[in-house]
Amino acid sequence: MRRLFFRIALIVLTGLAGVAHAELVVVVNARSGVAAMTRNEVINVFFGRNRQFFNGIEAMPVDLDDAHPKRAQFYKMLVGKDLSEINAYWSRQVFTGRMQAPPRLASTEEVIKWVAANPGGIGFVELSRADARVRVVYELKR
Amino acid sequence: MSGLGNRICRRGGWQRLVLLLSSGLFCAAALAAPGDSFTLQGFGTLGAVRTTSDHVEFVRDLSQARGATDAWTGKTDSALGLQANWQVNPQWQAVAQVLSRYRFDRTFHPELAWAFVKFEPSPNLSLRAGRLGTEFFMLADSRWVGYSFLTVRPPGDYFWHLPFYSIHGADASLAVPLGEGVMRGKVFYGQSRGNIPLADEQWDIRRSPMIGGYLEYQLGGLQLRGSYANIRFRNDLPLAPVLAKENNIALPAAAAQYLKTRDTRTHYYSLGLVYDKGPFQAQLMLNHIDQGTRALSDSNAGYLLLGYRIGKVTPFVGYSRVRSSERPKPSLGDPLSNLVAAYVIEDSHSDQKTIFAGARWDVARNVALKAQWDGIRGDSSSLFPYRRDDRARWDGRMDVFSVSLDFVF
Repeated sequence: MRRLFFRIALIVLTGLAGVAHAELVVVVNARSGVAAMTRNEVINVFFGRNRQFFNGIEAMPVDLDDAHPKRAQFYKMLVGKDLSEINAYWSRQVFTGRMQAPPRLASTEEVIKWVAANPGGIGFVELSRADARVRVVYELKR
Repeated sequence: MSGLGNRICRRGGWQRLVLLLSSGLFCAAALAAPGDSFTLQGFGTLGAVRTTSDHVEFVRDLSQARGATDAWTGKTDSALGLQANWQVNPQWQAVAQVLSRYRFDRTFHPELAWAFVKFEPSPNLSLRAGRLGTEFFMLADSRWVGYSFLTVRPPGDYFWHLPFYSIHGADASLAVPLGEGVMRGKVFYGQSRGNIPLADEQWDIRRSPMIGGYLEYQLGGLQLRGSYANIRFRNDLPLAPVLAKENNIALPAAAAQYLKTRDTRTHYYSLGLVYDKGPFQAQLMLNHIDQGTRALSDSNAGYLLLGYRIGKVTPFVGYSRVRSSERPKPSLGDPLSNLVAAYVIEDSHSDQKTIFAGARWDVARNVALKAQWDGIRGDSSSLFPYRRDDRARWDGRMDVFSVSLDFVF
């Protein structure tokens, strides 16, 4: 009885922890041929430094709206930067005419749809949202 | 439209291209559906600066004719830019940017900063042609986008002797993944644009051919870049009218020949190291300028900038240094020529260091407030960075106080 109680408590607690910081993962199109990426490779793609996967497919990163809480969490976990710093980076890229920032969508469900619709699509979503249409290639760890 | 096209085609080469581009962009603006591939973006700075000296005027760079003294001025750092991007298809893009800032002719007259077409035959290869920003020192092509950097303005000792902003020409850049990082190279060639003010006159650097490139490696938060560029000046400095007006001296022929800039070539070398990770950012930049003309001095410059973000505020400190090498004393036929040549050469001398400190506060989305102090500690011979120097009273030391509001939209 006591063991059962502890097991239930444990499940509830891990569940709560999971809600508190729902794990973020980077997903690509399931048919892209990309199986896994390193943190630096993810940085290269999301900051527009490298726009091609190893197999030649054009990487098409997609971002979330500024107001979406997962956007701040993603960049905090990936490079330790605030959104103001990310936006400053993109203003330099845009106003020197080098490149435009990735398109921004309103929800992670839209991100999944976008990634599934583009062979080179790559985005970030909560782990719980990743389904068969996409493949998880990187898990963001604190 | 064809009538307009004909009229456009009768104009000179580059003007024609630029006009075509901009009219193309405006047609695109009219045609593009809302939410389509046409975007309009902007940036701006409202800045105020004052110094503790009225013996020299402090400028952001040598493209400005007048600068700040011991009274607050909004001219030096304020700017407004508007950019139109038209993504025709995944490979082709057209970009035009209009920029208004205080410039060589003492006005905020807006100018077409860039106007180019970009072709990307593959995702990591970019080819551009038209009016282009030159990035011959790291960050040199984003000097007016205050929101994109930490300080109120790019460190002066490193940047003020770079009045070149754009070329009419072409560039190509290629990115290649190497290890977990990315190697990137860029080459450009074109003819420079613009005027560099000298007292009440202008040094016309238009159509001076310029060539350069860089190689950089980026891995995570680390970026290392080496770059090289050179420019061959097409015109002489307007020394004769300046000396006649300011000093009431006729420029002797021997001195004019000795100080010629026409058909001389200046070389620019630079090395940049940026470390940007988490709340910490650091920049170390070094440059060497090898002047082909005797009228301007060779120089070495560098700066170190350190910043650490605490919440929404990023305090920073930095140190910059510029020093030009001594030119041999001119030994021309007549004493007047020697005197005049020596006087002009003195004017291109710089020898100073600057300690600076300040903070950037990201007050709202896409808006930053900055405040900065610069302590310039130099030799009284350090005249090149300034405008309207009073050589008899300038002692090489002053403090500069700046505040700015930077935004993008």
